[in-house]
Amino acid sequence: MTTPVRIAQLSCGPEYSGVQKEIDEAAKAVDAEIFYPDISLADIKRDFNAFGLDVRSPDLKLAIARAKALVEGRVEADAVFIATCFRCAEAAIVRNELRRYIHENSKLPVVSYSFTERTTAGTLLTRMEALTTIARRRALLARETQVGLTLGLDSGSSTTKAVVMRDNKIIGTGWLPTTDVLESANAVIQLALDMAGVKREELQAVGTTGYGRFLVGEKIKADLIQEELTVNSKGAVFLADCQHGPSTVIDIGGMDNKAISVQDGIPGTFTMGGICAGASGRFLEMTAKRLGVDITELGPLALRGMSAQVAMNSYCIVFGTQSLVNALAAGSSKEDVAAAACHSVAEQVFEQQLQEVDIREPVIMVGGTSLIKGLVFAMGELLQTEIVVPPYSQYIGAVGSALLSSGFIMEK
Amino acid sequence: MAKVFIYPATSLILSDLVARFGHTPLSAAQSIREHIQTAGLESPPLQISPEDPKKGLKYAAVEVPSGVRGRMSLYGPMIEDADAGIIIHDADFAFGCMGCARTNELIIFLVKKRNIPVLELNYPKNDEEGAEFVAAIRDFLVGLGREK
Amino acid sequence: MSEYIPRYQGSVTKYIFVESPEMTPQDLAVRAYEISGGSMIKETCFGLQVTGTAEDVEKIIEALRLLDPDHIFVKDRGFPPGDPRRCRANLGGARPGFFGHEFEISLIRHVSHGLHKLPERDTQSISHPPSPGPEEKLNISKLKMLIDAQEP
Repeated sequence: MTTPVRIAQLSCGPEYSGVQKEIDEAAKAVDAEIFYPDISLADIKRDFNAFGLDVRSPDLKLAIARAKALVEGRVEADAVFIATCFRCAEAAIVRNELRRYIHENSKLPVVSYSFTERTTAGTLLTRMEALTTIARRRALLARETQVGLTLGLDSGSSTTKAVVMRDNKIIGTGWLPTTDVLESANAVIQLALDMAGVKREELQAVGTTGYGRFLVGEKIKADLIQEELTVNSKGAVFLADCQHGPSTVIDIGGMDNKAISVQDGIPGTFTMGGICAGASGRFLEMTAKRLGVDITELGPLALRGMSAQVAMNSYCIVFGTQSLVNALAAGSSKEDVAAAACHSVAEQVFEQQLQEVDIREPVIMVGGTSLIKGLVFAMGELLQTEIVVPPYSQYIGAVGSALLSSGFIMEK
Repeated sequence: MAKVFIYPATSLILSDLVARFGHTPLSAAQSIREHIQTAGLESPPLQISPEDPKKGLKYAAVEVPSGVRGRMSLYGPMIEDADAGIIIHDADFAFGCMGCARTNELIIFLVKKRNIPVLELNYPKNDEEGAEFVAAIRDFLVGLGREK
Repeated sequence: MSEYIPRYQGSVTKYIFVESPEMTPQDLAVRAYEISGGSMIKETCFGLQVTGTAEDVEKIIEALRLLDPDHIFVKDRGFPPGDPRRCRANLGGARPGFFGHEFEISLIRHVSHGLHKLPERDTQSISHPPSPGPEEKLNISKLKMLIDAQEP
C-alpha cells in the first residue's frame, strides 16, 4: 500500500451543488485524498490582497489564499484540484488565474474542473488518475531522451500502434486497425520489429498506453503501463522538439478528445472527453465513407472546399451525418462537405474543450486525425495560429511509451 | 415573536442579538440542520444532494450556476417565511454558506422585494459604533414586537 | 448511493462563545456541566457547544448568559459536535464557517460595549448608524478649492 497522494482542493460551490461526495470518491478510487489547506483569517486577508484579483465571493477569496499558501510552501500537497461552478464567470476567472499561478510558480500538478449538479465521480476519475500519476511519477516524466533499445505500444480504440526506438531515434513503426486487442498488439509489434531489424528479446524495455494498456501490458510484461494523457504529452513535445517551456497538445481521437496544456513536457492542465461522437475522428471516418473516398483523401479534399458553403451545426453524429447527406442532395460539392465536416469537428473541440485549458503556443496536433490536413487547417483557423504536426504524429502514444520506458533500463 | 432573516445568515452577532431581544433568527444553521437530520441518500458533507440545486430552480433559472441554486434552496424558503430582515452590508468575510457573492446579491434583493421591515447596517468598527449598532438593532426588534 | 441515517435527530446544537476579560471558556464549561442535565456539553477554544432538546438547550443558555450577559454570544449550529464531516482533523483545514466566526469575534468587543451601554444610556440619545449607501463623492467646488490650494 502506497501513501495516498494528498490533493489540495480549492473550490467554490461543490458542497452546495451536491457533488463534493463525487470529488472525494474519485480521489479515493485512485488512492488519493482530498484536503483543504489550513490557513487563518489573517492569511486570507493578506494573501487575497497580495494576489490582486479583487473578486467578491468570499469562497473564491479563500481559494486564492489557499493557493498562495500552497505555492509559498506553507502548506504541503502533492497535487491541486480546482473546482468551481459551471457558468460562473467570476469563478471561471479565478479558476484560470489560480491554475496559471500555481503552474508558473510551483511544481504542483493542477487539474481544474467546472462542475454542475450532474457531475459524477466517473467523470472526474481519469482526471484524478492523471493528477496522481503526475504527482507520483514526476521523476520518470522528466526524461527527455530515449536511451537503449525500447518499444512503445499504443492500444487505442480505433487503431493499435507500435514504435521501436534506439538511442533517441525511431527505427521501426507498426500500425493496424484494432480488432482483437492482443492479436492487433502482437501484429503491430512484429511490424515494428521487422522494420527496425531487431528481435523481440533484444528489447531492453517496453511501455504500453491507450485503452488496452493493462491487458497488453500484462501479457507482454511491460515495464511501464501508463494512461495516455501523460504519455501523449511527452511524445508530442519530444517529436515537436519543444521539451522546454509551454505548449498545447490536441489529440482528436477515435472515441474521445484530449486537450493538454503542457509545461516542460509535463501536463499541467487538461480536458478529456467529448460531448458526442460528432466531435471525434469517427465522424470524419463516416464522412469519408459517405463521400466515397478513403479517409486519407478526406483532408486534401477538404482543403479544396469552403466549409461556410454547407450548413453543419449539429453536435450529434447522427444529425451531423444527416446535414451532410442533405447538403450533397442539395448539390453541394464533395470538397465543401469535407471541409464542413472538418470545421464542425474542430469547432466542437474548440467550443467544448479548448475553453478549459490555456492555449499556449506552439499548438501541437497529434494522433491519427492530425494527418487529416483539412482538420488541422480548420483548427488553425479557429485558434488563429499555425498548428504544428510533428513527424510520426499518429504514433504519439507509442513514441511517448518507448521514450518513458527507457527510464527503466537502468533499474534492470 | 417575529422571524427575522439575518444577513449574513451565518452571523454570530446577529443570531445572538435577535434571540437576545426576544425574536427568532432565521439562519443558515437551521437549514443545514434540517438537511443533516433528514434521512435520505448519503451526500456528505452537508447532505445537500444534486436534487437541491434543482429545488433552487424556484429562485434562479437553470442557466444560473448549480452552487447558487443549491444555496438558494437553503435560503429561499427562509426568506419567504421571514417577518423582517437585518442586513449587514460589509460582510466580506462570511464563507461557506455565504461564500458566493452572486447568491448573496440575490438573497438581499429577495429580502427587500418582500416588503417586510428591513434594517440595514455596517459592522461596528469602534465602541461608539458598537453602541449605535446595538441600539439600532434593539429598537428595530422592539418595533417588530409592537407591530406583531 | 448508500442510505443516509441521521444521528441526533430532533436535537438542537448551539455554539456559546465567550469573549470576556472576566471569564474564560473553562469557567463557562464548569457552570455548564453543573446544569447540563441530559444535554451534551462540548468544550472548544472559544466556549462551548451544547446539544440536546430545544427546551433543555434554551434553559442552559439562559442560565449561562447570566454569568456575563454582555460577553456571551449564542448561535445555532447545523452539525452535532465532533461530526467527522466538519471536523478539522478530517478536512485538513478549518471548515469555511470558522473564518466567519474568526472575523466577527475580532470586532465583538464593540458589540459588548454597545450592550453594556444600552441600559445606562437612553436609547433615544444614541444616534442610529446611517444606512449603508453609496459613498459620498467630494463636492466639485471643494475639489476645486483643494486643487487651487496646491498651486505653487
